[in-house]
Amino acid sequence: MRDRLQHLHRVKTDSEGFSTVELNSLSELEPADPDQDLDGVLNEAQQIRLEIQQIQNDISELQDVNYQTINRTSFPSVTKRDSNTIGADIKRRGEAVLQQLHLMNDLRGELEARRGPSDPAVRIARTQYHCLSNALREVMFSYNDTEMSHREACKRHIKRQMEVVGREISEEELEEMMEGEELCVFSVHMEGKTIHSALMQLQSRQQELLELETRIQSIQELFLDVAVLVEEQGAAVENIEQSVQKAEVIVHDGTTQLENASTSDKNNPLKRMFCGCFPCYHS
Amino acid sequence: MAPSGLKAVVGDKILNGVIKSVKKDGEWKVLIVDHMSMRILSSCCKMSDILAEGVTIVEDISKRREPISSLEAIYLITPEEKSVDALIKDFKDSAFTYKAAHVFFTDTCPNELFAKIGRSRVAKAVKTLKEINVAFLPYESQVFSLDDPSSFESFYSPKKRDERDKAIASVAEQIATLCDTLNECPAVRYYKESEENLKLADEIRRRLDAHKADNLKMGEGPDKARSQLLIVNRGFDPISPVLHELTFQAMAYDLLDIKQDIYSYQTTGIGNSKEREVLLDEDDELWVQLRHMHIADANIKDLSQMLKKMPQYQKELSMYSTHLHLAEACMNKFKATLNNVCEVEQDLAMGANAVGEPLKDAMKSIVPVLLSEIDAYDKIRIILLYIFHKKKGIPEENLTKLIQHANIRDDSKIITNIQNLGCNIINAGKMLPERKERADSTYQLSRWTPIIKDIMENAIDDKLDRKQWPFISEPATITTTQTAVSARFGHWHKNRSPTEHRSGPRLIIFMIGGVSHSEMRSAYEVTRATDGKWEVLIGSTHILTPTSFLNDLKKLE
Repeated sequence: MRDRLQHLHRVKTDSEGFSTVELNSLSELEPADPDQDLDGVLNEAQQIRLEIQQIQNDISELQDVNYQTINRTSFPSVTKRDSNTIGADIKRRGEAVLQQLHLMNDLRGELEARRGPSDPAVRIARTQYHCLSNALREVMFSYNDTEMSHREACKRHIKRQMEVVGREISEEELEEMMEGEELCVFSVHMEGKTIHSALMQLQSRQQELLELETRIQSIQELFLDVAVLVEEQGAAVENIEQSVQKAEVIVHDGTTQLENASTSDKNNPLKRMFCGCFPCYHS
Repeated sequence: MAPSGLKAVVGDKILNGVIKSVKKDGEWKVLIVDHMSMRILSSCCKMSDILAEGVTIVEDISKRREPISSLEAIYLITPEEKSVDALIKDFKDSAFTYKAAHVFFTDTCPNELFAKIGRSRVAKAVKTLKEINVAFLPYESQVFSLDDPSSFESFYSPKKRDERDKAIASVAEQIATLCDTLNECPAVRYYKESEENLKLADEIRRRLDAHKADNLKMGEGPDKARSQLLIVNRGFDPISPVLHELTFQAMAYDLLDIKQDIYSYQTTGIGNSKEREVLLDEDDELWVQLRHMHIADANIKDLSQMLKKMPQYQKELSMYSTHLHLAEACMNKFKATLNNVCEVEQDLAMGANAVGEPLKDAMKSIVPVLLSEIDAYDKIRIILLYIFHKKKGIPEENLTKLIQHANIRDDSKIITNIQNLGCNIINAGKMLPERKERADSTYQLSRWTPIIKDIMENAIDDKLDRKQWPFISEPATITTTQTAVSARFGHWHKNRSPTEHRSGPRLIIFMIGGVSHSEMRSAYEVTRATDGKWEVLIGSTHILTPTSFLNDLKKLE
């Protein structure tokens, strides 16, 4: 890369009789009309962005809590939030962000009706909405991954503890156990601290797995809604060339307006949305 | 999947070198592009990527734009008059269109335009002014394009002879920016048979020297002295752009109507059918896996159906569906008309049939095809292949007879026009290059290997004939002293971004006048065969399809 700013400064001449002082003060003037709509859009976007960041923080905390519960040998004393509380918070925040995104889209629609589809504030609202929808989806995936990792860790732990107790457990039995089936293994004559500790561990792992399943179940609908949100917008929004080309030239007359209208209807996301193999939609 | 190779290098340069370099927390920016820079940007960055670095809207400089005076603007533009004038216009009146300007030119800004900027009010608003040296399109990880189909005429049309030198200068500069971006300073070679190759190679050498004066990294590194840049003209292999290919990407672009790399089709979902548009690019992992495979091997139906219920798999499922449609569309077109045609084409191209017996009476095999119900362009392709098979061209009256039989008089110009590329049509002297013996094709209808593949392999093995492919200047030797090299040896890679620095040598092929998909595929095949020791890049003024090639030939005279 070649930096030519210095070269420009050397070449710069005063133009049209303005003195340097006057030119400098011109460029430092406040913009004539601060665009309140645009500021509104950007502020709203920032709020949503911060909320999504909060969800990410919650997920990190959940990872810590999950790790602690497996790796401690005694029962945890509840000083911080436990996984159910965090899970509930994530769900609540996710749903709130989803709502905010819907509102943002409504705002964009209203701006579009008032200012036209090529207006920069409208297009900025659209790109922010798109970006934030993706960010929400990413963060939900991240939450899902966290819970799935914990699930696997619990399963591994159970297997080990079962070996300690002297009873190996198969995958199917493990799956059954996670669905709430009782384990009928423990003979009365098994005594001793190690066995006792292992049994306590097993019970709490089983409990955790059940709670985890419940959390995942309860968040399914949110997952689905977020997936729909992203799918609705289509992959084409990501393509920069298409984004630039779709921004129509300022409307000059009625015919161009009609052209715009039919183009935007063709791009109506609901009309181009689902291919036949959208699994959740049909399940 | 993150893009690799060229796309990654250019994407990194733009995202980090341009956009992130002026990022300020809490402040959004507008990004202004012109046609070429938009194509470059779009080929290696997504909307999300630039949003993440503080760009909230992308505008076309040539369109009338509403002022957004609270935001600063990044101008990523080519240093040509139209774009510079538009930049100046944005800051002409007392109310600036944007708060400030960060200007990034794709390559060197000529002095008059630079002075023009200096004279106008915009100079006060410019906070950044750089030349990024990226004036080419990273089409794929190993393929680049200059995105200029019109240069075909500039090089080969007798009507446009006066544009040739300008075209050569422009192409040379663009290729120099490619080398600059890759930090390569390759030895330049050219195919001797054609004059424009020498002229271009010479101009490139000059530009490389100029760029190296500013970018000392070019050519640095122990293996880089072996890097080569080969200049070749389209006429060197007229068979590859005309032959029907049966690998997925080549077949799709030949038989289906794919514009701007977008494949549109109707899905037959539950209820009514809907139109879907899918971009075929390297972000689609399945496309990357399938694109070079023979259509018979791209067995998409057998690929596991991912019927998981989690929403994140829905993207993968729809990709499978797209490629299934694509493959079926290709096969349908093929079965309808091309089964016989392909066999005849392969025989003509190879000069022998599937079991290796030399072709005795080529005319006999092509006449039934010419009389059949296939498209005019398919007939022309057969005739061209027949003529190339004859190596030294055919008598004019034979050509007239063929055109008559095939009933293609309206398009017959295409055949005679190809002589402008230096190919033999009517009894001329030049021969096509000697071919390597190959035993690797398993499909009867895919025996042909693009000639460029032979060249690539020979260049890498240092067996490329110096008389046919002379060096513009002797290959560079490492000029730094031994001690300096060893002192730096462990460290020279450290300040580079990971994608930019392959430490091995590169072979860069530039074809004047268009590159075909089969030739693009060869670059990947040859690279793989070196086990990663070499990286082969191929590019041209534009990517062609057989149809676009014939259309361009038609316009030459």
